[in-house]
Amino acid sequence: MKKLVALFVAVILALSLCSAFAEGEKTTLTMWCIATESDANRPAYEAAIAAFEAAHPDIKIEWEAFENQSYKTKIKTAMADPSTLPDIFFTWAGAFLGDFVDQGNVYCLDEAYKEFAADLPEVMMGNASYGGSHYGVPLTMNIVVMFANMDLLAQAGYDDVPTTYDELIDCCDALVEADITPFGCAGSETWCVTEYLEPIILKTIGYEELGEIFAGSATWNDEAIATAVDTFQEMITKGYFDPNGISLGNDQVKANFIAGQYAFYQNGSWNCGEVNDAEGNFKVCLFPVMDAEKATYSQVIGGPSDTLAVAASSQNPELAAQAAFELGKEICHYGYLAGSGLPAWTPDYDTSEVKALVADVAAMVAAADGMVLFGDTAMSADPANTYLNFVSKVYGCEIDGAGFITSLASALQ
Amino acid sequence: MKRTLSYKLNIGLFLLPALILFLVILIAPIAMSAYYSFYDFNSIAARDMDYIGLSNYKTLFSRFLVNAENGMQYENDKFMGDALTNSLLLAALSVFIQLPLALLIALKLSKGIPGERVYLSVFFMPVLISTVIIGRLWMNIYDPGEAGILNAGLRAIGLDKRLFPWITARLTSSKLEFTGQWTGFKETALLAAFIPILWQYVGYHMLLMYAGILGVPSELLEAAELDGCSERQVNRYIIVPYIKPILKVCVIFAVTGSLKSFDLIYTLMKDTTKAELPSTLMYKLLFLHNRYGLGSAIAVILIALCFLFALLISMAFRTRGEKVA
Repeated sequence: MKKLVALFVAVILALSLCSAFAEGEKTTLTMWCIATESDANRPAYEAAIAAFEAAHPDIKIEWEAFENQSYKTKIKTAMADPSTLPDIFFTWAGAFLGDFVDQGNVYCLDEAYKEFAADLPEVMMGNASYGGSHYGVPLTMNIVVMFANMDLLAQAGYDDVPTTYDELIDCCDALVEADITPFGCAGSETWCVTEYLEPIILKTIGYEELGEIFAGSATWNDEAIATAVDTFQEMITKGYFDPNGISLGNDQVKANFIAGQYAFYQNGSWNCGEVNDAEGNFKVCLFPVMDAEKATYSQVIGGPSDTLAVAASSQNPELAAQAAFELGKEICHYGYLAGSGLPAWTPDYDTSEVKALVADVAAMVAAADGMVLFGDTAMSADPANTYLNFVSKVYGCEIDGAGFITSLASALQ
Repeated sequence: MKRTLSYKLNIGLFLLPALILFLVILIAPIAMSAYYSFYDFNSIAARDMDYIGLSNYKTLFSRFLVNAENGMQYENDKFMGDALTNSLLLAALSVFIQLPLALLIALKLSKGIPGERVYLSVFFMPVLISTVIIGRLWMNIYDPGEAGILNAGLRAIGLDKRLFPWITARLTSSKLEFTGQWTGFKETALLAAFIPILWQYVGYHMLLMYAGILGVPSELLEAAELDGCSERQVNRYIIVPYIKPILKVCVIFAVTGSLKSFDLIYTLMKDTTKAELPSTLMYKLLFLHNRYGLGSAIAVILIALCFLFALLISMAFRTRGEKVA
């Protein structure tokens, strides 16, 4: 009996050793991202990683997800000591990634991109390209859209979304008259205020000038921008916005909109899936034109921003680059189908199941005749946060349009 | 002589590990922060550092800056003066509201009232709870919607539409039912943030004082009782002077804690600009603006202020003939 037990234990040990050696042959790639349990992109990440590991049984992806705001601190701190960086990390394109590229902490993806160029148009790589080289793999792309609760609009006598500014104002007046709050905006998260202010400025001065301002090659000191800010504040003072919004977070404002407390909610298209699946009749549209000489209805704020990058300090940079592209493609695939974003990659799968609102936004992007990346992503950290400080004051009506343009122009010059 | 030297060498050797730890963990980071505060650099990688002398300090204390190109004056969003004033206000509230309240509770509980242990636990409980949870709890209390307990209470007693009409007029139409977006406006956000901070640490100071009061020799209290002292006189002339060292520690903790306060205000308000404190401004400059020189300058100012206040408080509590530690 003792011999049998000893034999059994020996076999078990031998098998464990074999499996340990087999495990040892696996290459592990580490990844950081912001797809936490509550994040709309979580299922897309899970599915993409599972698909990648199934396709590459010799590679294991060890990934961690962090809350959005704390991740910004974590990734910047890790940049101080690149040895603490994972192989692949989530980042926002534009100036956010640009700062890391300037530090020399990001691996150039030019070689790896060649294999995927057919599925990933060069134009989608633009926001993560610096000095003519590619440093990021775009995932999904998003734009700012105006979600409309058609049931509430019907109560105010409207059976379609307003397409001109005058129509929008008439509609808001009718909604207020019907005791319905037209808009909800989360004042405690300033980026949500920019989701309202930037489209208004865009539809006043046009995408070319706004793009130049975000890039720092034109000044904020423009009377037209002051007019746009005053228009936004006029909408606030006329009671078009939920006054409670000033101290609410985005999750709560979104929940209020879905629950039918507001007629409109202007935010990123990543909310399409959630709004689409909610009970009620929802449509999606764009903020109307304010100055037809400079802007058109189809100009949009947004673009590919969510990005995967590879650390220059990675032990396996080539493998990590390959993995970043493959993961990026699959995250885009599953995210698009789930309604958490539009595809930066050309779909090579059945898209008939894409949610109605997502398809509508995809059509808007296809028809877009001008696109400007979100202001706080397009600008580098210091000017972006100074800009957000002034935007916060605009929503609280602490400064008017003239104060906004002169102060911001001087502070950023 | 030889023996004395060997004795001193032994002491030195035994103190060395602690000294090394003290230098590495405390002194070195302070020295590094002071060094960085004289530089302008915008990345943690610390490349391209420009020596700018005291310019970071000048920027922090200038409410308005002048644009070098057009000579136009503009408001400096990195101005530290308001944040410093706010934290000094918090320190004053801590010393003049939080500590007297803690002392009052400690004095009452030390008299052996029924349920003393239960009260001790209840008052101390907020100290044990994570600040993040407390922040969430107070967010619900301040919620401007139907869920907000504070606003519901105000509505119940008919105070809606009457509070802070000047803010209402500035921001919205007269149709607004304003019962308080407590954390949304500068006018109320600061107080809304201070109340939970003060509330959370009452129990902490109360426990320190309570322990001190229990240490008052019973002979002293009995003698006072025999002499016919009232409870108020016992508290004033025996207990409070006896626990003076503990009161000093409490005041130092309250003031330096106010200067360093960060976590609760950060949890309560995502946009801290409405109730800025030096530590929240430092966090923003370091990790959002990537202005490490400016952030380091705030760190140095905070350290200096904490030491200065600790010294001043020690001097204020010094009795004749006593040396300041």
